Amino acid sequence: MRIAFEEMKADRLLAARTEHGNVAPVLLARGDVPGELRTDVPYQMANILLRVVPYLGSDRVAVVARKCDEKAIAEMSKRGLLDPGKVSLIGLACDARQVSECRCSDPCPSKVHIGECVKAAPADKEVEDLLAKTVPERLEFWTAQFRKCNKCFGCTSNCPVCFCDECLLEEKTFTPEKGIPPGFAFHLIRSIHLADKCVECGECERACPADIPLLALRKMVNRDVKELFGFVAGDGETTSPLLTTLDGEPMEDDHDVC
Amino acid sequence: MSVKHVLTTCPYCGTGCNLFLAVADGRAVGVIPCKTDETSQGQLCIKGYNAHAFVHHPDRLTHPLMRKGEQLTKAGWDEALQKTVDEIKRLVAEHGPDSVMVLASAKCTNEENYIFQKLARAAIGTNNIDHCARLCHASTVAGLLQSFGSGAMTNTIPEFEDADCLLVTGSNTLEAHPLIGARMLKAMEKGAKVIVIDPRDTPLSRIATISMRQEPGTDVAWINGMINVIISEDLYDHEFVAERTTGFEELRELVKSYTPERVEEIAGVPRQHLIDAARTYAAADKAMIAYAMGITQHSNGTNLVRTLANLAMVTGNVGKESSGVNPLRGQCNVQGACDAGALPNLYPGYQSVEDAEVRAKFEKAWNGELQAHKGMTLTCAFNQALTGEVKGMVIFGENPMMSDPDIGHIEAAIQKLEFLAVIDIFPTETAKLADVILPAACYAEKDGTFTSTDRAIRVVRKAVDPPGEARPDWRIACELGRMLGNDGFAFDSPADIMNELAAVAPIYGGIDYERIDRENVRWPCPSKDHPGTKVLHTGSFKIGKGVFAIVEHTPPMEETDEDFPFILTTGRNLFHFHTGSMTRRSVKLQRESPEPYVEINSEDARQLDVLEGQSVRVSSRRGSITLAARVTDWIRPGTIFIPFHYAEAAANKLTNNALDPIAQIPEFKVCAASVEKA
Ligand code: SF4
Ligand code: SF4
Ligand code: SF4
Repeated sequence: MRIAFEEMKADRLLAARTEHGNVAPVLLARGDVPGELRTDVPYQMANILLRVVPYLGSDRVAVVARKCDEKAIAEMSKRGLLDPGKVSLIGLACDARQVSECRCSDPCPSKVHIGECVKAAPADKEVEDLLAKTVPERLEFWTAQFRKCNKCFGCTSNCPVCFCDECLLEEKTFTPEKGIPPGFAFHLIRSIHLADKCVECGECERACPADIPLLALRKMVNRDVKELFGFVAGDGETTSPLLTTLDGEPMEDDHDVC
Repeated sequence: MSVKHVLTTCPYCGTGCNLFLAVADGRAVGVIPCKTDETSQGQLCIKGYNAHAFVHHPDRLTHPLMRKGEQLTKAGWDEALQKTVDEIKRLVAEHGPDSVMVLASAKCTNEENYIFQKLARAAIGTNNIDHCARLCHASTVAGLLQSFGSGAMTNTIPEFEDADCLLVTGSNTLEAHPLIGARMLKAMEKGAKVIVIDPRDTPLSRIATISMRQEPGTDVAWINGMINVIISEDLYDHEFVAERTTGFEELRELVKSYTPERVEEIAGVPRQHLIDAARTYAAADKAMIAYAMGITQHSNGTNLVRTLANLAMVTGNVGKESSGVNPLRGQCNVQGACDAGALPNLYPGYQSVEDAEVRAKFEKAWNGELQAHKGMTLTCAFNQALTGEVKGMVIFGENPMMSDPDIGHIEAAIQKLEFLAVIDIFPTETAKLADVILPAACYAEKDGTFTSTDRAIRVVRKAVDPPGEARPDWRIACELGRMLGNDGFAFDSPADIMNELAAVAPIYGGIDYERIDRENVRWPCPSKDHPGTKVLHTGSFKIGKGVFAIVEHTPPMEETDEDFPFILTTGRNLFHFHTGSMTRRSVKLQRESPEPYVEINSEDARQLDVLEGQSVRVSSRRGSITLAARVTDWIRPGTIFIPFHYAEAAANKLTNNALDPIAQIPEFKVCAASVEKA
């Protein structure tokens, strides 16, 4: 509260607090009664920020953000979805449990306001195990996983960097309306569309009612993108290799294609 | 400008997921899952994610309408309410209170349903109060009441995750109760065996340990068959049977003839599958049965439910964690509407209207004389409307012109009524036939509670204002009660109503708003210091000993013949809800499943020369509809399936209104039909 409104001079604070025995995302204005603000924020605040931005007008907002939120916000501002000058970050360090849950390699925010940074996780065992399998084995594994999908779109609607104007997953050439589970295209399209944006926050995996290891899938694609293009999503400067000309020049406009 | 997040309960299925409605400048603009909610654990299905989508739809009813000749014209609240009250008074004076029927709603809150039944009983003077539970789980309420003494889920939703064996029948859980399905997937991940018995392949049956496709209408046979194997291989729980049940010897005699061979003949289930299923179920330490409309919507539904209860009891799988019999209730508040007494034979809290002592208690609480005989069921009321005995109806939020069997018959019945008032959020197929339409607030526009299928009292919180002049149903019903001259309707808030409900219904005795605002309490909860109840029937059954029911297989009411060679079964799909008045007005859901279709086995389709997507005419003895064919191997040959969400090809034009004699639930799941190219 104090950091947001006094130090950062923000007009709004996006945080989490206790409501009705649960933890709720909350957008506060200067002077609002803060209630019981929480430091254990179970929400992906960057995703919620993206949803509230259209209603903020010219207000400046401070948001409680983990490192992955910080990266997601960088990807958003690079694509013109929000004005980085209007957003201040209240850095939240992930604790050891969270780091191990995400097998996170980069858990420490640029500036820490809440909590203390812990060590990054060693290599992701889930990914290593999968890569150790043969291709047919891997196909079998993913087929069995995808069979459980019930097309809730939780993986897209909770993802902080899933923001195409028209979602191909809702388009019938690739995902015809034939009930569930959706075909491979559903998951593959999503993988490719996030290849240059995914910040490995793990929210898709947590939102998945079918417990499909979506974070492992994301990490495997991200690894390929890094190997092929030397690109890692999450900083405010580097243009995605998918958005440059074939000669590596940044394209002029149209930065918000997906 | 501001954005707030209002914690509330999903208005669709009975799972009761909590979610946040994101509200910007007075409009519901999105949904965020609630990470700390015990039921949903921060996950939702596609319907939950789109729970905001219909709220501000332009079709919403915004002011009262009254019929002037053929036309429905805009009216003021005072005149519309007055007209309704005058008509009710006239009918009561001329034909007695039983000429009026009130239909409550499983979409409305507990508090509202309490008021609806009080309106019928205390203000109009009739027990003629019912709701769509008649169409879904009436047989559960009746069946489990007889077997165990309580008609509700014996366990809670989180317990599915820790079972060793799940027997799922007549429930397409991954589509109809997705977040309960999610728990089943988690159980599988932990090694649980899953047995699915369904005439159609479902997303769950395709990944199940054992999957059997029985012929529709033969469920008693395969369940008795499983019990046969369990007893003859001595896999039953001797101690449990001896100590906690009665009627075992009769059951042993009954199932003798249901050998796997005979069951294979009747139900078409391979004998080895049946034996495997019986062994797997009996071997499990903690086994849970989950079932839904595929069991209940039969003309022998009550007996079928009791047969499932038999299966659980022989193996001792009742009364402990992750073991029990679990009806999955379809509507957000169908459990609560039953709890609150919107049933013609039961007061709030399942207390019989025919019990003089109970009646005296309610007469005192409501300050007036009450009727001693039970009222009419919904299905019976439409029959009686045809014969002219029921002359007026007040329908809160139900759409029988889509949801009830044999719609042609329903329409004829409604046309004969002298007066029909409909209170709803959209101009439904039923509302269009009304004399008075009153606009109601939807779940996002009022406070209250829903009771989920696992007996948890979940809070519904007001997020936005109702459109135009629409009002919450409880206010409308209270106003009607007051204008009918009863002074028991002076409630200021749903919290006040809950206090009265808690005072008269012991299972809700310990419920108050302050408590449930923070706590997820499940009934029975008799007092303020009671923690609520997760597992039912732990020490003993509510009725002492569990009662084995002796039920023989009987064929369904309507069998196939040369003219109608297919068995038609109906149900819902993932993307729509019931009569579609909400989901079909939600863009994303409508995109996922835009048109009506009939599922037909690929072999049958080949013989009829029908291709995928082609238009076909499906007929039964009651009518026909035209819709697209969906050719699939996921349904057994000889059976066809139609979801009932689509007004343009309403499946219930075809269904049979043959009733279960005990619970009067119609046989939606089996009727004879024909298919031809259109
Ligand atoms: S981990 Fe999942 S939710 Fe997070 S950015 Fe990547 S794709 Fe989106
Ligand atoms: S969150 Fe999981 S179940 Fe939902 S659409 Fe994504 S992969 Fe499928
Ligand atoms: S599972 Fe049921 S309660 Fe949960 S979001 Fe889906 S429809 Fe709503």
